[in-house]
Amino acid sequence: MNILNESTYFTMRQCDLKRCFVFETAHKSVKLTFCQLLALRNKVNAINLCAHFNEEEHECGIEILLFKNREHVLILDTYQVIALKKFMEDTFSILECAPLAHLSI
Amino acid sequence: MKDLMRQKLGINVDIMDLLNKQIGKEAHASSAYLAMASWCDQNALNGSAELLYEQAAEEREHEMKIFHYINDNGGTATSPEVKDIFHDYSSLEEVYETALEQEINVTKSIHAIVKKCRQVDDYRTEKFLQWFIDEQMEEEKKMRDILDLFELMGGSPLSTKFIDERVKDA
Repeated sequence: MNILNESTYFTMRQCDLKRCFVFETAHKSVKLTFCQLLALRNKVNAINLCAHFNEEEHECGIEILLFKNREHVLILDTYQVIALKKFMEDTFSILECAPLAHLSI
Repeated sequence: MKDLMRQKLGINVDIMDLLNKQIGKEAHASSAYLAMASWCDQNALNGSAELLYEQAAEEREHEMKIFHYINDNGGTATSPEVKDIFHDYSSLEEVYETALEQEINVTKSIHAIVKKCRQVDDYRTEKFLQWFIDEQMEEEKKMRDILDLFELMGGSPLSTKFIDERVKDA
């Protein structure tokens, strides 16, 4: 299992053998197919970060994120939301660069 | 390490996002045409109502074409939320001006995706979008031709009725 991306709160691994991804946070490890990973990316992208800085729209500053067909839930504060957005963006950039890595080998 | 993403997804992920946004734009255009058709129906402009109902269906077809393309390539197409549909028009000319403006915006959006396709070497999507480029030219022409009739005949009630009866042939 290869580490694709690692940050303070999250880690993403790729398992070539099982052709899947593993998303890890401090308290859980979730196996994801590529479609589920794409769905998670869509959900993370859809989080309105600006609302976190507007008390009228977002009083508590907490984001509840259901993913993998609502099997899992993440409860994130604003810092973690920012980190997760960056993490997902970086993960997909790394995945995009994978063919280049093959070429360089 | 295997290139799992490429094995699963046949298009660039950023292009997939843009195509999903385009689905939203096509859905918005379809709903906007429905609102225009409804206004024409209420104002006894049956020729325009018929044409605009057809346009609404066409936009829906475009939306579905992109929707299937994303899913067929292993991506995730997202069902769009349609908001801000304008229902009040002051004249038939305004309806067609709005329609032309809408078509121009859709064309610009498609061109922007093609530009991005070239940047990221997504030749497949660029080829797929070629059909939309041709289609947009037709759509714009149709609206422009109708607006030319208003320029020619003015916007009086009589000429409006006359134009309405001829929009299908414009």
